[in-house]
Amino acid sequence: MTAVLAILAKELRVEMRNKQTINAYLLLSLLILASFRFSLALFDPDYQTLAAPILWVTIFFSGMFSIAPSYRREAEQGTRDGLMLAPVPASDVYLGKMLSSLVVLSALEAFTVVVFLAFFPVDVPEPGALVALLALGTVGFVAVGSLIAAISANLRQSEVMLPVLLVPVLLFTVVMSAVSGTAQVLTGASLGGVSEEARLLAAFAVVFIAAGYLLIEYVMEG
Amino acid sequence: MADQVLAARNVYKSFGRRQVLRGVDLSVGRGERYVLLGPNGAGKTTLLRVLAMLTPPDSGEVLLFGESAADRPADARARIGFLSHEPCLYLELSALENLEFFGHLYGVPDRAARAAAMLREVGLDHRAHDRVETFSRGMRQRLGLARAVLHSPELVLLDEPYTGLDLRAQDALGELIVRMSGQGTAFLAITHDVAHGLDIATRGGVLASGRIVHESDRAGLDDLRSRYASIVREASP
Repeated sequence: MTAVLAILAKELRVEMRNKQTINAYLLLSLLILASFRFSLALFDPDYQTLAAPILWVTIFFSGMFSIAPSYRREAEQGTRDGLMLAPVPASDVYLGKMLSSLVVLSALEAFTVVVFLAFFPVDVPEPGALVALLALGTVGFVAVGSLIAAISANLRQSEVMLPVLLVPVLLFTVVMSAVSGTAQVLTGASLGGVSEEARLLAAFAVVFIAAGYLLIEYVMEG
Repeated sequence: MADQVLAARNVYKSFGRRQVLRGVDLSVGRGERYVLLGPNGAGKTTLLRVLAMLTPPDSGEVLLFGESAADRPADARARIGFLSHEPCLYLELSALENLEFFGHLYGVPDRAARAAAMLREVGLDHRAHDRVETFSRGMRQRLGLARAVLHSPELVLLDEPYTGLDLRAQDALGELIVRMSGQGTAFLAITHDVAHGLDIATRGGVLASGRIVHESDRAGLDDLRSRYASIVREASP
């Protein structure tokens, strides 16, 4: 566990000093939300209904940019060998990096939600339920995103390969459940009312973390 | 050989249809400074990565500290230091933060003091709190060496260790290697720099076309130095 915490602290420190990821996320999420806002304004749609897909599409695509560099940077800087040579299990590397991405992405999502609520006339009758769904969805997203970021870092054109590998996996699992649950929460359902979606998101999170934990050694050996 | 820390037996490695290592046999004993020379493309870096367990061999066996490297990789890794072309450093972190991080991964006791001592050892204590991205190539190489030996490994694998170092730093590196080997640490350095490489060697070899084509003990090092070019020429296909 001590190695996990050391890797987590290192990742956060590198992230805070690099800021490339954070800036890219903030700019991209702002642009996506602005694009939705101005293009949909032409049709005067029911924003309460459209809010859930807009929010998750923004988080999903912006989030990919915050997860991608974690492993790619190690490969580019040559530090991947340093991690692989260290006498710590690859699963510790995965957990440390995943937790770091979770911390960063959660903070960035708070920005996305604030901008989203500023841009769109949407009521949030159950804020607690919305936060719970965001948290569950983010854990699943980060768990599988970290594994696929590790896989794509070994490939040529890793920037292209990450979304190609990640979108199909997440679209039919985390994103669909999260959009469905969020849509119901925004129309007044409580967390108990979306328990099926919440349970699915929790199950995806557990499965994806377990998959990452078990597979990362083979992935990092390339 | 008494107290062998590294042995490679009949190691083969190919990338696609290109055979890079063709039955390498090599051994390094405790406290020995084995310098493996070879021209570009001879397979030196591949061999070092196989010995460091970063790349699995296609066939053959690597024994580290008397046991198969494939059986106990975590134990073996804790006893190895490795410095490749890339010094394995985080550019956004300071020199001290890099060493403390790796010290953490290796379970080094009293990390901060050990990291500070290593920075003094490689002459970078005055830059301890500066980010590595501000360092020159030579300074990064020196810091990479400090990282590689931070955990007092019993075997250190060095890939072109003199690259990017000025004359003073090359001398300092040589002195550090000799001092550590005197305390029992074994070194295997690969290089195409014959003069510098053999200056510190207690044993030498030549890798050409994926095979060890020549080995010399301490008494034969001068002969190796003078005949290196012809040995490589004769071994080339």
